[in-house]
Amino acid sequence: MSKGNKKEKIDPKLTRRQFLGLTAAAGTMAALTGCDVVDKVGGNDNWLPTQYRNSGNYPVNAKGRIPIDPDNPSIMRIDEKCILCGQCIEVCQNTQTIHDFYKLPVLDTFMCVHCGQCSLWCPTGAIQEKSYIDEVNEAINDPEKIVVVTISPGVRVSIGEEFGLEAGTWAQEQMVSAIRQLGVDYVFNIDFTSDSTIMEEGSELVHRLTNDGVLPQFTSCCPGWVKFIEFYYPELIPNISSTKSPVAQMGPLVKTYWAKKKGIDPDKIVVVNVPPCLCKKFEAKRPEMNGAKRYWEENEGTDYGNMMDNDYVLSTRELAKMIKSAGIDFVNLPDGKFDSILSEGSGAAVIFANNGGVMEAAIRSAYFLVTGEDPPEDLYHLTPVRDDNLDGYAEASLEVPGFGTLNVAVCNGLHAARTLCEEIKQGKRANLHFLEVMTCPGGCIGGGGQARETVPPTDHVRKARIDSIYAADEAMEKANRVSYKNSEIAILYKEFLGEPLSEMSELLLHTKYIDRSKSVHPKDTSDYVDTYFSGLE
Amino acid sequence: MSSNSAVLFNVAKCIGCGSCTVACKLWNDLEFGENNAHGFDAKLSADSWTVVQYHTIENNAGQNVFRFAKRQCMHCLEPSCASVCFANAITVDENGAVVYSPKKCVGCRYCLIACPFDVPKYEWNKVFPSVMKCQLCADKLAEGETPSCVSVCPTGALIFGDRDELLEKAHAIIATSAATENMEATHYVNEVYGEKQAGGTRWLYISDVPFAELGFPASVPKKSIPGIVHDYTKWKPGVFLGAAAAFSAIGLYTKRRLKIEEEKASENGGENNV
Repeated sequence: MSKGNKKEKIDPKLTRRQFLGLTAAAGTMAALTGCDVVDKVGGNDNWLPTQYRNSGNYPVNAKGRIPIDPDNPSIMRIDEKCILCGQCIEVCQNTQTIHDFYKLPVLDTFMCVHCGQCSLWCPTGAIQEKSYIDEVNEAINDPEKIVVVTISPGVRVSIGEEFGLEAGTWAQEQMVSAIRQLGVDYVFNIDFTSDSTIMEEGSELVHRLTNDGVLPQFTSCCPGWVKFIEFYYPELIPNISSTKSPVAQMGPLVKTYWAKKKGIDPDKIVVVNVPPCLCKKFEAKRPEMNGAKRYWEENEGTDYGNMMDNDYVLSTRELAKMIKSAGIDFVNLPDGKFDSILSEGSGAAVIFANNGGVMEAAIRSAYFLVTGEDPPEDLYHLTPVRDDNLDGYAEASLEVPGFGTLNVAVCNGLHAARTLCEEIKQGKRANLHFLEVMTCPGGCIGGGGQARETVPPTDHVRKARIDSIYAADEAMEKANRVSYKNSEIAILYKEFLGEPLSEMSELLLHTKYIDRSKSVHPKDTSDYVDTYFSGLE
Repeated sequence: MSSNSAVLFNVAKCIGCGSCTVACKLWNDLEFGENNAHGFDAKLSADSWTVVQYHTIENNAGQNVFRFAKRQCMHCLEPSCASVCFANAITVDENGAVVYSPKKCVGCRYCLIACPFDVPKYEWNKVFPSVMKCQLCADKLAEGETPSCVSVCPTGALIFGDRDELLEKAHAIIATSAATENMEATHYVNEVYGEKQAGGTRWLYISDVPFAELGFPASVPKKSIPGIVHDYTKWKPGVFLGAAAAFSAIGLYTKRRLKIEEEKASENGGENNV
């Protein structure tokens, strides 16, 4: 190969060096002169849900979102995930009658009863529970602290869904094992305080019935329903049973009765409740929920500062998240058992998770309290108060020997509850003795803290959980299906509380309510009567 | 849609949900950042063209209540930002929206200083920064739609329409509330914020609490800012031309005198040289 040939070959019109130089120069020039800039600021996505892309001022039905207080103890929203689909408004306004059921301008509150249904409906997960996982983990890792986890009935039929089990699968045993593997010291069962609730609330009902008390008596297990009454129907506050909810009873019992028996300083106990509910996060922070502190102050003269009955509340979803983070193989766990003296639960306690369950449980025991006899067979499956169609309402009339006819009703969803309140206000329910209300559709099994099995929640999933709960009750020995035969409850009353409605019970297991009507100008809904229930049956 | 577009914000109807702030970020593809664009310390920024500021204010009944103030570019009828922009990057479009063109912007940031409402923000952390502010969704208006924030408001606190009609509506609401004897009814402050401020803006506000307590600047003059400046700058041509004429005249006069003196000198030159 001659030298001349080679020279011809490497003599292109543009060398690589020149080409790279020119490219760099062109790029720099383009950037400097703004060639790459579209002549508008902001990005180029220009996306909004289609309902907002109408010309003119045409009305849009699904619009905007609910307001959430930055200090809301139950729910929070991540703006970046919000697509303004309007689903939170749909459930808050139409199922719960909270949003848009107050006059504007607003007063000193962001209207919310903390039911958390919006967190189940939100398709993008923008609305979530306010999480206390970090605080609970910190307590578990603190060797000084004794962490007590207490589980509500509704959780065990939903938590399995988080691990791929079918909707409504009973997973109590795996759940208890999983919690122990997380490093928790004691696991108690809220079924226990559900039975004490029945003892207190049932006795209270009998007391009201025999002493011309305010009737109908309302159940107080659901903190969302309680706050709803405090906001919208303060005149009906005397109707609410003064009995605390089962979750709210567990904390003070752990920090007094159990702490004394075990000889543990209550200040070292961290009570973590796991209900299917987000409103319990709010309830635990109610200032009057410090019965244990008052007990120690009044009876032992010990000051525990700001000690609250329940320290943290985790939803079903948060518990599942903790179990997943720990890498626990939930489905294949061995059967775990609750710790004793605060865990025995009757079948009546298990069915607390269903709307109608509190009523059925209360009637089984009230029958005993009035007649002194075990309830007849049909009270063990009180179908008239089982809201099988999930239409939000059921009622029943029962013959109780020695008393007469007892008229009871149950409802779920605050839309139905609002209608009933209006009817009661207008004197149309004069013969009603006892009313159970659950804020969430289907009761606690459909609670705002439950697994997001379907979005939005469906009756199919609710029904599966309801059936699973009733099946668990039916599977029990008959003697174990009434609260008054709970042996641990009997010991509790014998050794500590005395009897239902005693002074000690009033201190630890009863509470009082706050008139919140100054925080809201309610809209007039008196015309709700005749419109809601006429569509049923 | 009318070329005289405007938005009326009724403070008494806002529930603080912040839908408008999210709609703005969705449509304009802005970063969400760590802090929400609604809350007690929400502030306008390059990524938050509109914010809803929470305030706790004592109402007529002596109760401390929440009130929410949506803030964004007021879209002045005669915007001072546009008048100071020598690159013509800020202009008023055919619908009345004050819009910004990053292509023309030279980055002098005069508009940031000129705005009486402290609205435009600069992208200080960008290599090629722009001035960021609400564009009144000019691209949506051009398609006959309402601005994003208005389209998503669930309570009707935001209404879009013709500015004159909205002003009429606002005054009617105020008059009705003033006439009612029901103490529990909403009583509006007798002012439409934005009707006169800075010579009139396309965002109009009515409220049942004083605007100053909602953080609206009370010091904004009622006359348009370019109008105020014009009172002075209108003399500029006269001053310049007058000065030029005066100096020309003086120059001519001096030149002439020098010439005459030179001529005299040359006439007498021979004698002097002798």
